[in-house]
Amino acid sequence: MIWFSALVLIPLMAVVVTAIDGGWDVFWSTITSGQTSAAIKLTVFTALGVTVVNVVMGPLIAWVLVRDRFWGKSALEVLIDIPFALPTIVAGLVLLSLYGPDSPLGIDIANQRPAVFLAFLFVTLPFVVRMVQPVLEELELDVEEAAASLGASRFTTFRRIILPSLAPAIAAGAALSFARGVSEYGSLVLLSGNLPFKTEVTSVRILSSIENDNVAAAAAVATVLLVISLTVIVLLDVIQRRVAARG
Amino acid sequence: MADTLTREIDEPVAPAAPALVRRERRTPMTYVLRLVAAAYLFFLVAWPVSLVATNTFDDGLGSIRALLEDPDVVVALQLSAYVAFFSVVINTVFGVGMSLLLVRYEFPGKRVLNALLDLPLSVSPIVVGLSLVLVYGGREGWLGPTFASWGFDVIFSAPGIIMATTFVALPLMIRELVPVLEEIGIEQEQAAESLGASAAQRFWRITLPSIKWGIVYGVVLTLARSLGEFGAVKVVSGNVLGQTRTATLVVEEKYLNFDQQGAYATAFLLAMVSVACIVVVAIIRPKNHA
Amino acid sequence: MSIEVSGLNKSFGDFVALQDVSVSLPTGQLTALLGPSGGGKSTLLRIIAGLDKADTGSVTIEGTDATHLPAQKRNVGFVFQHYAVFKHMTVAKNVAFGLEIRKRPKAEIAERVDELLRLVHLSQFAHRLPSQLSGGQRQRMALARALAVEPSVLLLDEPFGALDAKVRKELRDWLRRLHDDVHVTTVFVTHDQEEALEVADEIVVINEGRVEQVGTPDQLYDEPANDFVMSFLGEVTHLAGTAVRPHDIDVATAPLLAGAVEGTVSRMLRVGFEVRLTVLTVGGEEVSVVLTRTHARSLGLEVGATVWLTVTAGATVVPAMRPSLAG
Repeated sequence: MIWFSALVLIPLMAVVVTAIDGGWDVFWSTITSGQTSAAIKLTVFTALGVTVVNVVMGPLIAWVLVRDRFWGKSALEVLIDIPFALPTIVAGLVLLSLYGPDSPLGIDIANQRPAVFLAFLFVTLPFVVRMVQPVLEELELDVEEAAASLGASRFTTFRRIILPSLAPAIAAGAALSFARGVSEYGSLVLLSGNLPFKTEVTSVRILSSIENDNVAAAAAVATVLLVISLTVIVLLDVIQRRVAARG
Repeated sequence: MADTLTREIDEPVAPAAPALVRRERRTPMTYVLRLVAAAYLFFLVAWPVSLVATNTFDDGLGSIRALLEDPDVVVALQLSAYVAFFSVVINTVFGVGMSLLLVRYEFPGKRVLNALLDLPLSVSPIVVGLSLVLVYGGREGWLGPTFASWGFDVIFSAPGIIMATTFVALPLMIRELVPVLEEIGIEQEQAAESLGASAAQRFWRITLPSIKWGIVYGVVLTLARSLGEFGAVKVVSGNVLGQTRTATLVVEEKYLNFDQQGAYATAFLLAMVSVACIVVVAIIRPKNHA
Repeated sequence: MSIEVSGLNKSFGDFVALQDVSVSLPTGQLTALLGPSGGGKSTLLRIIAGLDKADTGSVTIEGTDATHLPAQKRNVGFVFQHYAVFKHMTVAKNVAFGLEIRKRPKAEIAERVDELLRLVHLSQFAHRLPSQLSGGQRQRMALARALAVEPSVLLLDEPFGALDAKVRKELRDWLRRLHDDVHVTTVFVTHDQEEALEVADEIVVINEGRVEQVGTPDQLYDEPANDFVMSFLGEVTHLAGTAVRPHDIDVATAPLLAGAVEGTVSRMLRVGFEVRLTVLTVGGEEVSVVLTRTHARSLGLEVGATVWLTVTAGATVVPAMRPSLAG
């Protein structure tokens, strides 16, 4: 407990304390200043967009991994985990090699907004898939067959039977991927160019404040991110409790 | 003692692995979904990652060799390994302790603690770095000046890097162990207790061997995360060439200095380690579940 | 007396598991703690073993006060319903565990393990992992593991509860014979009255945290202390305000005896050699009666017939104080 406090809780509290040290007005003007609010907006909206893509693609990939069988499936399994294990700076470089100036596809989105989107998409890939997969594995085919025997079409079965069982897992995965997207830093360093008002995300903004020795401003923006993380965690806890209550 | 069992009891032994009965229904939709999933993963992950490998080996082994001859890079790699080692050790020891605490004991605030444990996974690494600087910073941190007066610098030196890395990798071990501990339950330990084993004997001889695979996964995941941490390390390390620069920082620096070959080569080394880690996990995990 | 329990109380939150329980279990005997699920019998066993702590009361094992002794120092053998095998150890290692903890010499351990595995017929499985054994084999291994340390008492918590019916019956016979050979004081928990009646020297009936009756199987069956014990040990029906066993009712086709209760046969079911009747009395009672097939045929019984019922002379009868709880 003490160890956890010293390493995690006290430092995070220090951030919040530093942020509100200067008073509410300073805090507010810091996070609403042009460049910072542009960064926050970009981060949040991109993370939201990426979460939407993940909510669609995550269950789809999980479905293929659980229900389908084909040659090379285990390779796909490994691919899912790569973004989680790969150092973020390497992830940035990886994406740059295909979607950067030397792209063999001829697509160069480096230093543009889609780059931010792409980077988020890469690092958040595992979350929804890995949350949905075990639930889908436990979901018994019997239930689907029972629904079919009662006259439900495949689409109806999916919408009325499967989707509601997966919903908590999808929501939890979405929350995690949103949190991860909002807090992403490493993969953007090389890929997005960090242009103010254009491709600069919140984490980069905090870092540049630190480098300019403006710790108070950095702490203010960091607090915004912390609040988002905490909200996500509370949300996750609520979802898990719901699921547990349902048995 | 006499032979009490007059005849062998006829009871089927549990089959080693129950055959998975899978009723398959293949429709065109199956193939469309399969194609979409494969294509998505190919363009997002497989192709870009493989490009790093090909870029690295554009001129054969030259770039790797050049990299390993650069003393600054060697020092950075050593530092990364050193930091990852300590982070793994610390997180393993405390991870096992925290997991036991969370699974076996009831105490006020357990739910809050449980929820907060996920914080390091969802907080930006930059915020992590900033928070550590604020507390342990040598000049104006809360505790830093005290440590500094003892001649012990945390920030801008190895201990800070280790702390930052430990912080971000903290939940991984615990999240691996908690479900394992919940699954094995407490009966085996109680059986050992009734056979006369002390608390320490129960831990070393029953609990630890039962969770060893969980610990192995936890170590592998923690190792991958620790080696790869970038943002938090960047803030706390000061990035001093040859002293507090880790391998991930080298990638950035080399790329920004237009040494793409070097950047790709370093990235390749790091990617190799992390891919190796997840392949190891993928290989041992199913065996354990059987 | 081998185990002396007095004044035990135990609650889990609002739930009262044991209420002022005092019981003495004799040395060298096989005792069953019998009762419905959730009645507190497992809790009592776990408190004797030291795996749970009583709120108040004391436990004495072989003359030593064990109330505050941790489980590891009580020298009891405990067998769990779900076996609690050490999954990462071979069968032989499982059995050797308690001896290794006691730092016995290696040769002695090997010899003892060998002997015990022969006793439970698992010698050929010594080097297998528990996952390769069947449920019955695992439970025999768990028993050998508990016996290895030569415990002063052997405690078994629903030892055959997780096994299927046939194996359960065979292991039950085996446990009886094993006990006759080993003679260690043994206490086992069960909710199956047939198991208790067949195996135990003495039965303690426990319900809702209280001891209802202690006695030999015959005493319990023939002289139940109350309606609950009677109904738990076998089928019970009610006739004229008393609880009686269905096979202890005489059926007549004419009002021959004074006090006979008149009724109509409302259902008739033939099961093998016996016939089960449901008789609706004029007082509105539903009475179950069991008689042999030959007897029923000689009386010429059929649905709708009028009959007169009396309790057989010398039958076990208990005033019906509570509504019947079990079949």
